[in-house]
Amino acid sequence: MAGYLFRRFVTSLIVIVGISMVAFAMLHLISSSPGRAVLGLHASPKAVAAFNKANGYDDPIVIQYWHYLLQLLQGNLGYSYKLNQPVTSVLGENVLRSLYLSGVSLVLAILIAIPLGIYQAVKRNRLGDYIVTSGAFTLYSMPSFFLGLLLIQSFALSLKIFPPEASQSVSVIGVIEDPRAMFLPILNLVAIQVAGYSQYMRSSALDGLGQDYIRLARAKGLSQRAVLTGHLLRNSILPMITLIGLSVPALLAGNLLIETLFNYPGLGLMFYNALQNEDYPILLSYTLIAGVLTVAGNFIADVAITIADPRVRLS
Amino acid sequence: MTRVLEIENLSTHIQLSRSVVQAVGNVSLYIEAGETLGLVGESGCGKSITGLSIMNLLPPGGKVVGGSIRLEGKELVNLADAEMRKIRGNDIAMIFQDSSSSLNPTKTIGDQVAEPTLLHRGGSKREAVDRAIEVLDLVGVPRAKERLADYPHQLSGGLRQRVMIAIALTCDPKVLIADEPTTALDVTIQAQILKLLDDLKERFGMSILLITHDMGVVAGRADRVNVMYAGRMVEATGTKEIFSHMRHPYTQALLASIPRMDQDNTKTLFSIPGIPPDLTNPPEGCRFAPRCAYTQPDCQKSEPSLRGDDRHVAACFHPVEDGPLKPEMMVTVSHGQVERKDGKNEPPLLEVVDLVKTFPVTSGAILRRKVGKVHAVSGVSLTIRKGEIFGLVGESGCGKSTLGRVIVGLERPDSGKILLNGEDIFAYKGRTLAKKRRDLQMMFQDPYGSLDPRMRVAAILREPLSIQGVESSKEQEARSIELMREVGLPSRALERFPHEFSGGQRQRIGLARALTLNPKLIVADEPVSALDVSIRSQVLNLMKRLQVSHEMAYLVISHDLAVVKYLADRIGVMYLGKLVELAPGDEIYSRPVHPYTQGLINTIPLPDPEIEKDKKREVISGELPSPISPPSGCRFRTRCPRAQEICAQQEPQLRAFGASHMAACHFPLVEPLESATTASGHSQI
Repeated sequence: MAGYLFRRFVTSLIVIVGISMVAFAMLHLISSSPGRAVLGLHASPKAVAAFNKANGYDDPIVIQYWHYLLQLLQGNLGYSYKLNQPVTSVLGENVLRSLYLSGVSLVLAILIAIPLGIYQAVKRNRLGDYIVTSGAFTLYSMPSFFLGLLLIQSFALSLKIFPPEASQSVSVIGVIEDPRAMFLPILNLVAIQVAGYSQYMRSSALDGLGQDYIRLARAKGLSQRAVLTGHLLRNSILPMITLIGLSVPALLAGNLLIETLFNYPGLGLMFYNALQNEDYPILLSYTLIAGVLTVAGNFIADVAITIADPRVRLS
Repeated sequence: MTRVLEIENLSTHIQLSRSVVQAVGNVSLYIEAGETLGLVGESGCGKSITGLSIMNLLPPGGKVVGGSIRLEGKELVNLADAEMRKIRGNDIAMIFQDSSSSLNPTKTIGDQVAEPTLLHRGGSKREAVDRAIEVLDLVGVPRAKERLADYPHQLSGGLRQRVMIAIALTCDPKVLIADEPTTALDVTIQAQILKLLDDLKERFGMSILLITHDMGVVAGRADRVNVMYAGRMVEATGTKEIFSHMRHPYTQALLASIPRMDQDNTKTLFSIPGIPPDLTNPPEGCRFAPRCAYTQPDCQKSEPSLRGDDRHVAACFHPVEDGPLKPEMMVTVSHGQVERKDGKNEPPLLEVVDLVKTFPVTSGAILRRKVGKVHAVSGVSLTIRKGEIFGLVGESGCGKSTLGRVIVGLERPDSGKILLNGEDIFAYKGRTLAKKRRDLQMMFQDPYGSLDPRMRVAAILREPLSIQGVESSKEQEARSIELMREVGLPSRALERFPHEFSGGQRQRIGLARALTLNPKLIVADEPVSALDVSIRSQVLNLMKRLQVSHEMAYLVISHDLAVVKYLADRIGVMYLGKLVELAPGDEIYSRPVHPYTQGLINTIPLPDPEIEKDKKREVISGELPSPISPPSGCRFRTRCPRAQEICAQQEPQLRAFGASHMAACHFPLVEPLESATTASGHSQI
């Protein structure tokens, strides 16, 4: 198993290097002369050439990529001329703030969706199931920002229970210490995810309930509760693991809208601003982070499946 | 004798979205202490639902709507759930058909076997594990202690079934309900498991309710047999009586339609016309009347109730009195035979020459490294003549299906040749190969999975014609109508979808599809094993009739020796990728040469209590070795009672034991012909 995980890890690294190549090549296509972008339309061609030469932007693309890769290995993601600071320091706590928002909502969503899905499967085609399914489909079909607008309108503007804006604290600790401000964005993300995951869990649990081993567990004399927790739960979660792993990058994309809506300084908001400023080094880093998250999500899901499913563990 | 379990007038209904299936109606039965009651019937007759009703484990929508179920006098119907749970797995235990899906794939064997003890006996985890080891030992799981941490997928099918029996035994149940306990297993493993159940019953004095469709299984071990048909109990009596002095025409017809080893295979097999009634809307009167040969006007008017004395009851107005149907009384016709000019000199239709097929075993999810090979077919040679039916038998995993798939060109062999009329079909590729293949067609086992559910029958039958370029749609239509008539289906059924047909009808469609292009050879892979006995004989008769009228050859692949015996002129026995014996059908049964062949024949449960009781319970021990690293020398030696040193060192070659009887064994049961001690596998056989 250790060997398998090691091989899996190495392939993940190769994929990440591949992503960096593609992202770099695309950036090069879009903006091959950073000098022009930095110095502006009125700068003389000479000045632009001098700038490019001084910063190595006139080297062949392979050499440029090599330098970029070396810098990357040292943790240097490049320099944002637009903001006049290194990309790493721009990313800085944005990464941590995004991680906090996504992580908390993902964990909450899973903790709610799994029991909810099992509940629906057990109550299949009865009132409780219909109510949850209708709710889930309503939320699922709604754009996330629209739900956000509804939440802000009702909870923040009308009822004034929660602030309309997420925590503006610079440090992550400050954000964590302000749960009231984070309530609406987290609720927004959780609701959207629960809607999807619970329906998936419902069908997975329904599959499970029809299995012969559930019948055998009942034939042993186990109670409904013991059957559900002891025999159904683990088997029904297996397909969820892959799904959750695959949706990690989607979470990041979802945050883009939510962070913008609640004006929360995370990766999403940073990306949005960089897009408007045509700040390519930051966009490149964001692409790279999204790529790494995709690979990491898959890798973690694989590891989790390996632990959870003995059939995968040994073959 | 005390009656441990008694069921009276049980009715169980299953609510579907738009209708109600009256699965069990007015069924009564009892089991005495320490006896085995066989509950037999075809699929959908309500036998399993009766078993599940006892346990109150009915599928969604299922409900006991009337009657009573008493365990030692205690009423179980409408018992509070908490009370019922104390009975399940404790006083009454149940084992199911499919051990691969009945064990939880994510829990260890130890946990699963220990669970009932913890639940019903209390005590520590340690004590429960000790008990688990004890019962696993008892059911013959070797080195039980080391197996505790294993997961179900690491065990073979036979071992899993033993584990399931161990789970049932942990709390010393009074009654064991065994629902088709051996149906998913190979004959050799089936014999081992049935022997185990017999031993356990003797030792612990349990009562067993043995639910099965296989009359052979009940013949050898049940004390009494109850027969169900369409949700009704139709007959109940001692095992001997049911086979020799049955009263219900259904019992008689059911037994008559099972192909026997001594069946005259030039005559049609007895079969029950029609199909069982739809239980969402059961007919008035006797439910068997529409299919019954003895039916009278009064049978349709009211329903007969069970009558008779304590020892024998049957629900029939006009019970049969003269015992089983005698062959001369059955209305059978001769199939006729495909005429051959001169069997010996005529060139063979199909030759398989030294065929080898392996499948790679890979490991790792991304970097698929080859770590070994499954040796599915390892050097098989055989010949099929024009108009001949060749039967191929063997346990699952012996390579018989792979061989069939290679022959019709669905797989490419690693080496060796398939010659059709002397022409190597694998010398061609792509479109030319496709053209060559039209003479080789396939009929599949699974009547549900082998027809595209979204295609109408007409489209299914026309597809091969379009592929092979019979283009005019007029021609195609005419051909499909003709095919439907040939397989005995109405031509208006062409517009229907596969799910609108019964299993037997679907196999007819499968046969029609195989016939579309007038092939010279049809490979029929387990053509009837998914079908019930009464339907099975209809399909077998049809296959035989069409073979004669189309002058085709069949390669019939089956694990069921009686089916193969009935259909085939010659039979080949395969074991772990090798052909071990080859002989004319009659001879292979009367004079088997290879110990494996004899073992297979001995282990088939026959629907005859006299033979079954006398049978020495000698079964082929052990299980099929892994085809990834087959044993050296003779592959059967690990399970062979006659094996000696030479068997491990030297691979036995096929030798002649008669005019057209070959076998590969160092210590055959019959002396080989001296003149031909080293016949090569390639020779004309």
